[in-house]
Amino acid sequence: MIYTLRHRTTYRYGRPVRFARCSLRLKPQDCEGQSVLASAVTIDPSPATAVTRHDYFGIDALAITLETPHTTFSVEALSTVRVERPEPPPPESGMAWERVRDAVVAGRDLGGRAPVHFLFPSGRVPLLPEVTDYARPSFAAGRSAYGAAHDLMLRIGRDFRFDARATNVYTPLSESFALRAGVCQDFAHVMIAALRGMGLPAAYVSGYLRTVPPPGRPRLRGADASHAWVAVWCGAGWLGLDPTNGVPVRDDHIVVARGRDYGDVAPVDGIVSGSGKQRLKVEVDVIPDTETQDLALVG
Amino acid sequence: MAAALADSVAGTDPAESPGARVARWAADYRPAPGRTDEFLGSDGQPRGAWPRLLDRLGALTEPEITTRFVAAERHIRDAGISFRIAGDQREHPWPLGCLPLVIEGAEWEALSAGIVQRAELMEAILADVYGDGRLVEEGLLPAAIVAGTPEFLHPLHRVMPPGGHYLKLYAADLGRGPDGRWQVLADRTQAPSGLGWALENRMVLARTFPDLVQDLHVERLPAFFQAFRDGLTLGAERIDPRICLLTSGPYSSTYVEQAALARYLGLMLVEGDDLVMQDGRLHVRTVSGLKRADALWRRIDADFLDPLELNPASRLGVPGILEALRNGSLVVTNMPGSGLVESAALAPYLDGIARRVLGEPLRLGHPPTWWCGDLEGLAYAQANLDSLTLRPAATPQRGAARDAILAGPALAAERERVVAALRDRPFDYVAQESAPLSTMPGWERGPDGLSLVPRPFVVRVFATRTPLGWQVMPGGFCRFAEREEVDPIELRLGIRSADVWVLSEKPIAAPLIVTQAAPRVRRVGGHLPARAADGLFWLGRYLERAEAVIRLVLAHLRSVGDAVGTDISGALDTPAALAVRALLYEWAAIGAADLPTARLAQEALSGRARPGSAWAHIGSARRNAAALRARLSGEVWRVLADLSESLALDTERALTESQLTGRAERALSQLAALSGLTHENMSRAEGWHFVELGRRIERAINTCTFALAFANDEATPGCLGVMLSLCDSQISYGRRYLQGAALDPVRDMVLLDPYNPRSIAFQAEAITRHLADLPALAADGIPEPHHRLATRILADLHSGEAADFDAVRLTALESDLERLADGIAARYFPTGPNALRPEKLMGLA
Repeated sequence: MIYTLRHRTTYRYGRPVRFARCSLRLKPQDCEGQSVLASAVTIDPSPATAVTRHDYFGIDALAITLETPHTTFSVEALSTVRVERPEPPPPESGMAWERVRDAVVAGRDLGGRAPVHFLFPSGRVPLLPEVTDYARPSFAAGRSAYGAAHDLMLRIGRDFRFDARATNVYTPLSESFALRAGVCQDFAHVMIAALRGMGLPAAYVSGYLRTVPPPGRPRLRGADASHAWVAVWCGAGWLGLDPTNGVPVRDDHIVVARGRDYGDVAPVDGIVSGSGKQRLKVEVDVIPDTETQDLALVG
Repeated sequence: MAAALADSVAGTDPAESPGARVARWAADYRPAPGRTDEFLGSDGQPRGAWPRLLDRLGALTEPEITTRFVAAERHIRDAGISFRIAGDQREHPWPLGCLPLVIEGAEWEALSAGIVQRAELMEAILADVYGDGRLVEEGLLPAAIVAGTPEFLHPLHRVMPPGGHYLKLYAADLGRGPDGRWQVLADRTQAPSGLGWALENRMVLARTFPDLVQDLHVERLPAFFQAFRDGLTLGAERIDPRICLLTSGPYSSTYVEQAALARYLGLMLVEGDDLVMQDGRLHVRTVSGLKRADALWRRIDADFLDPLELNPASRLGVPGILEALRNGSLVVTNMPGSGLVESAALAPYLDGIARRVLGEPLRLGHPPTWWCGDLEGLAYAQANLDSLTLRPAATPQRGAARDAILAGPALAAERERVVAALRDRPFDYVAQESAPLSTMPGWERGPDGLSLVPRPFVVRVFATRTPLGWQVMPGGFCRFAEREEVDPIELRLGIRSADVWVLSEKPIAAPLIVTQAAPRVRRVGGHLPARAADGLFWLGRYLERAEAVIRLVLAHLRSVGDAVGTDISGALDTPAALAVRALLYEWAAIGAADLPTARLAQEALSGRARPGSAWAHIGSARRNAAALRARLSGEVWRVLADLSESLALDTERALTESQLTGRAERALSQLAALSGLTHENMSRAEGWHFVELGRRIERAINTCTFALAFANDEATPGCLGVMLSLCDSQISYGRRYLQGAALDPVRDMVLLDPYNPRSIAFQAEAITRHLADLPALAADGIPEPHHRLATRILADLHSGEAADFDAVRLTALESDLERLADGIAARYFPTGPNALRPEKLMGLA
């Protein structure tokens, strides 16, 4: 499947901003089952400096500074991506979770892609005893790592309520876990904490999800959203699981970046001098090539 | 043993011979069995340098020793040497124990060699982990230990530190193991504290026992500090680099130490807000504009250094500062990421790494340690839980370093927690052999005189990198516990600190305190950081505002006093008395304008709930002063504390009017003492100009407000009398005019008379002079906007006549003065619109 992706972020400020320093992580990644055919980012006002930095985890971050006073800052990323992932393995297949854990701890790889980096608490994912206890029933002795993670994903999908008003971007994990509610970011963080609590490496994946408009209706412009899910290390590779929708990741998911938590992959992140009140608007379009007639409308 | 000690000293005290005294101390000293002690060896015989030290002390009578202790404590209080316990705002006087830890030169040399080797080893590990990663690849260092410490800072992977070295300052906390050998309890590479305390300890002890320091050949510290200071700039780009000490601010538990070090080493003490990245380089915001910073000694954890690339919640760092590390324009001590080697889990691997990278075994060991991520280590830990202490593998950087989750024989309930912890994530823990800390002698003052008692202790030893290799400080920072249950590794109540004396065989010629290198002569201490200027300006303003409130209170009390014998009720509602009450109410010094006389005065002086009370303003002045510790003399600090005390009246206990008058007058004298101190003792550098600017502007604005209330066109003679008293000008007025207070003469005296140091014209002249002495931003000769405004205000006053200054003119003058204050803030201070605080982009983008 080939997708055209449009992600437009607009900040409006109450007072003119004279200086801003931002990191943009909007370019989808080339990874297994996914290749980027084209990608471009447009920034307004145009940046004084812009350097692409390839970070330790392989994420491309565009570091920019803005030095023209402005009250609106907008970034638009336009990409074309081909996604052809293999079918996910059957749930109860693969290495036992204890063996996966022991192998990771004994590993001699410290490179950015090594699973060991995804085993420990990170800025937004503390390890909490209550979350580990929640995970435990899925981890019967000797069960396959993928099977246990898959079961955990289904349970989170069942036990947690999707509610955009229950949490915001700063809600700590302990709170969203206690509420058993939140958005994809919260679902992903809870599942990562649960997996790491049991000793399995888990990563936060940011990206997009294809949505299907109701039959006979046109796709609404800007109505899609960025999405987040989880990748779990199963001994031989990473497998994607989407706890918000309770499904393994396949061709409907488009990966932008994989990090330890949201903090590593935030699409737009930065610091501005004295903005007054900030207003944020995000518009996302995920258009599969089966709907190319819409391209003219959006592009 | 007692006999051996008794032989060596001649008697000086008829009641008890020195020998007998020392013998008594030694006989009563009983180290716990099974623990290594500094003074008495396992055979019960005195060891090392202790007999020499105690013989010398024994030559003093106990009252003499006590007198010296008391003098030392007074010095500590007067010099304001204090510390905070983490999470507590109060400051505690520095708890210096008067007996030093003494170590023989020969033993010290062997220990130093071990310290140097360990510093080298830590440097090698850092260079490898942030570079090629061979140690992990070869299996000498488990990847999970590195990945598991939050101090492995990914953004700095493959970023070479300018100058090539990660560590400029290495510290180790030492104690003796059960076998009597020194061992490392913790490695300190993040931002070791204690250098300043070690220095203060030495200054106090050298004063207390100057003869002992000389005669026992105690090694001196200055050469080490000089080497450390030189090392801070190794690798810097510019020839005359500017060095900043980055503090987390006045509420840090070691702020006093940091301020003292900044003063001693001549570094600019800065907070994150003082620094800004521009054009890829780090700069300090000063009143002369942005000035380049070349080297930074950070006393904040690396994680807080850059809210953009590291911890986004940090308010202490500088957004984008890592860029300056990448392009090599900034030297940071220690290189961010160095905290990695503080991890307790490294211990079992250090010997192997030393053999591999240094080609020799580890000289200075640590208590036997097992990492539970290793299957064999885990099995050992599980089998021997009773004799082990379980600790986090990635030693937490903040708070307790020895954060044990279990020590010693396990209680049943605890045992369950431990087993659970080891089941889910064993690699998060290390198990360490539990052994009590070794002990050293400390004094205890009892009813029968002084006695020596064993105290558990740790000593922090420092090494600094010089171009010729590592140099170890011949001394250290020792902490001992007054109670067995307190862990001396962390500063808190119940902990005392001790100086560390390394005794040379030969006499020492080096000076005791001063640095050896001849300093370059200079008259001004460098550019004033904008934040410090801001603090000094507001210090001046708050002090002046407090004085205005106190003068209003006195006017209020007097308006009643004057009326005694005539008609009290009438006096209470004279226009003057009403105006005083109204103004105090408007200034939020009182909660209601119709309070009874004494209650009103008490509330305006000391009301805790009143943001405008004199007490509240002095509190604000003190908070500003606290952040300026490195710039204010101890006397200023002390008078401020006294002032606060004069004004802190017990709200439960109502004072009489005359008592209140007494308090208010005392506070005025203390304020006068403060302005005397700034006038007579402060160098006429930028800092002084800002204190004075704050004071002058505040006084001019207050005088305007007073004139609007008490010297308006309808002013009664009573009002004019109050006006004169608020401006402390009654005496001059009485000498100049025979008749009572009249409008134009009063106005001229308080507004326009350039010879009256209380008049607005006098303030305006002073303000223009101070502004002229401050640095200009551009060299184009054009006065800056706030200059022009000051000049115009002064011209208006010079050219005006008393009769012109009606309410309209006064209101205009007042708002001009307010605008001038804002203009000064905008131009010089970091809170101005030209230097807005950075804010995070919000929301899920």
